[in-house]
Amino acid sequence: MTCVELQKSLAEIDNGSSIEQQAHLRTCPACLALVTELNLIATSASELRDADEPSPRVWNSIEIALRREGLIHAPRPSRSLIPSFGSSWTWARWLAPAAALTLVAVGIYVRQQAPVSQVARNTAPLAPVTEPADMTVAGLNDDDLLQEVAQQAPEIKAAYEADLRRVNAYIVDAKGVVAADPNDEEARRSLLEAYQEKAMLFELAMDRSLP
Amino acid sequence: MNRRTIELVVIGVLVTGTLFAESRREYHFNVGANSRISVNNPYGSISVKPSSGSSVVVIALLHSDKVEVDNAQTGSHLEIQSHLLSGADPESGRVDYEIMVPADASVTLHSSTGPLHAEKLHGDMTLEGAGAAVDIRDVNNAHIHVKTLNGPVTLTNIQNGHVEVDSLSGEVTLEQVTGPVVQVISTSGRINYIGDFGSSGEYRLTSHSGDIEATVPDSTSADVLARSVRGEVHDDIPLQPKTHTWVNLQQGRAFMGTMGHAAVSSTVVLRSFSGKIHLRKRSAK
Repeated sequence: MTCVELQKSLAEIDNGSSIEQQAHLRTCPACLALVTELNLIATSASELRDADEPSPRVWNSIEIALRREGLIHAPRPSRSLIPSFGSSWTWARWLAPAAALTLVAVGIYVRQQAPVSQVARNTAPLAPVTEPADMTVAGLNDDDLLQEVAQQAPEIKAAYEADLRRVNAYIVDAKGVVAADPNDEEARRSLLEAYQEKAMLFELAMDRSLP
Repeated sequence: MNRRTIELVVIGVLVTGTLFAESRREYHFNVGANSRISVNNPYGSISVKPSSGSSVVVIALLHSDKVEVDNAQTGSHLEIQSHLLSGADPESGRVDYEIMVPADASVTLHSSTGPLHAEKLHGDMTLEGAGAAVDIRDVNNAHIHVKTLNGPVTLTNIQNGHVEVDSLSGEVTLEQVTGPVVQVISTSGRINYIGDFGSSGEYRLTSHSGDIEATVPDSTSADVLARSVRGEVHDDIPLQPKTHTWVNLQQGRAFMGTMGHAAVSSTVVLRSFSGKIHLRKRSAK
């Protein structure tokens, strides 16, 4: 059994207990670490579920909004090998998609206020735009990202710092333009795109780019 | 043994060691119609070209024994993965791929370092990599998605494409790229568009601080809106003004109008916050 075959087999037997899995795990420390982590996550997840997980309606609403905006599509099985589970990115791999999702959802939320404001323009004084939520809501912020990058690939930390500065400046500017003219659809689009850029930065930095 | 002989022996040992350290692997697969090919290569290049029929040929140059190539085929879905072993680094973990796939295959390529290259295909393609240079050319009727952080992106001769490029700081160049949707988002990278904006597409080039330059021929037909919040806009082409504008066109910061025949025009939106925007006419050769 190869590493790829083991990862596929975990879809059927996720605790690595089959004879073939055990034989591979005895010779492959990377896969052994993976299975150990998955078991730990499974154990921890059941404890976290009751306390921290939002209601399914929340996730459903986010998913519907993202699909409506055309930002996500049906799952594509071609991603099953990407990212590789054999690397040392552990908890961060799970937080990165959540962070990206949150950033995009915040952007969509801002953009979706446009029709409301458009109606309000003709009927009542404009209400101030709700400021986007802080970007640490997914439990992952810039410092977390840089810390992980520094641990995994210190030689590229400076480049990521520069990228973060640029994309944060983009978000600040886009927010400013939206605040100046809440009814400017193009400005809202810019803000969404700025969040998308940051989401991409997190995604590539944490989910794909580093071994 | 004289000094010259010793030198030759040393050189021979080094060359032999290098040859043994690098190894070439070749894999052949048969895939059906509408095949999907995914390649994940942390370090190294991936180049994809069309094959004949339904065959896939993968040629991998492994730079050391600290990396191996895994593959998995499920029907028409083929996955190739560079598997880094303990102690691998960007040099020893490098694999360079040359891959031939059916021209209609959907292709997903990922490499942190790149470069990534695809040509003469007409299936959908996704190319991603933090620092990877991306080069796509001679592609028809395909969805093209590109994501890079600082790698430059070059798209050449893309016809009837649905193109989405996200680049944080890499320069993006589109030459003869047309289609119903062409969208580039960049934070600080420069965006260059050279071409005629097709006949009926939507073209959106957006940057935060990077400059945007569009160079078009006389024959271009397009409705154009250009705005820069803090940068300058320049327009070398006389535009027919719109009778009704829904945006505030601040002098020197924005322009809006029609080039050519509006009845068969594309929509072009060029936006920046602090970058310059320049719409220029292609000089006659």
